[in-house]
Amino acid sequence: MTEFNNRIAAQREILLAVNSAHWREELYGMSSGALDRWVRANSLDRSSRLVNLLLEAAGKLFFLANKSQEQVTAEYRLRSSEVSGLTEEIRLELRRKT
Amino acid sequence: MTTHFYAFGSICRGEVDRSSDVDLLACITGPNPDLDTDKFSVYQHERLRSLWTEGNPFAWHLHLESRLLFSSDGVDFIASLGAPAAYKAGAEDCDKFARLFRESLDQLSQTRVNATFNLSCMFLGTRNFATCYSLWRGRPVFSRKSPMLIDDPLRVDEEAFGVLTRARVLSTRGIGDALSDEEVMLALRAVPVIQAWMSQLLAEVHR
Repeated sequence: MTEFNNRIAAQREILLAVNSAHWREELYGMSSGALDRWVRANSLDRSSRLVNLLLEAAGKLFFLANKSQEQVTAEYRLRSSEVSGLTEEIRLELRRKT
Repeated sequence: MTTHFYAFGSICRGEVDRSSDVDLLACITGPNPDLDTDKFSVYQHERLRSLWTEGNPFAWHLHLESRLLFSSDGVDFIASLGAPAAYKAGAEDCDKFARLFRESLDQLSQTRVNATFNLSCMFLGTRNFATCYSLWRGRPVFSRKSPMLIDDPLRVDEEAFGVLTRARVLSTRGIGDALSDEEVMLALRAVPVIQAWMSQLLAEVHR
């Protein structure tokens, strides 16, 4: 799979974990605009651990986006594994809350 | 520090509506922590040079549709690069975006969880597929409506394509009305037409 498709798959995995829980409105994407909307629509505390984990994952996914930043292969791999770790933390946090 | 700022995308085509943002590019050398990466696509000058050498679609996009806003050294850096190398990855890129469309559709067929995100990815797959195909044909179209504007256009229900476009705006910018179940179904009805069109063009790029 290409790095581009991998990045989409990583986003999808996080969104699937989040949206499998019940919310007034789904999280539509890992962009800052989509995250802001989701926090507001669900009256979430912006300083909560879940929101912070999502913002951190969004930042790393943003780095992985070809659009935004320089990519050095080794660093790309490191960030990819960091996103996997964060996805697991997001799952645990969601489980803790339900 | 040499810095060049450009506008590119819909604003340079005059293709602006309420859901449009303004695409800004910053070309820099070395770090520049003051740049807001929510506002700017930030590229090192060297990286852009290598995109030009690769004949990357983004290089072609910037070459054909960017406008200099600011130059710290009086040079129009992008103009100085001339035309990018010929685009050679047409088949590979069309495959990549067709796969994105297919995988997102598979997910949507399995569950309505993430429906908006998956529709958004189906839009991205369709739009980028069309743009890469048009570049491969030598008549590039970078518009968000590229599927309908290229040679061999996608003839799809406008309302259904409008749902895909709204999904994309929701997932990238978080704005717009949430999609109803009926709208998701409407978008899904356009799928066979999109798949048949992709198959036809894929056969052409692989010939």
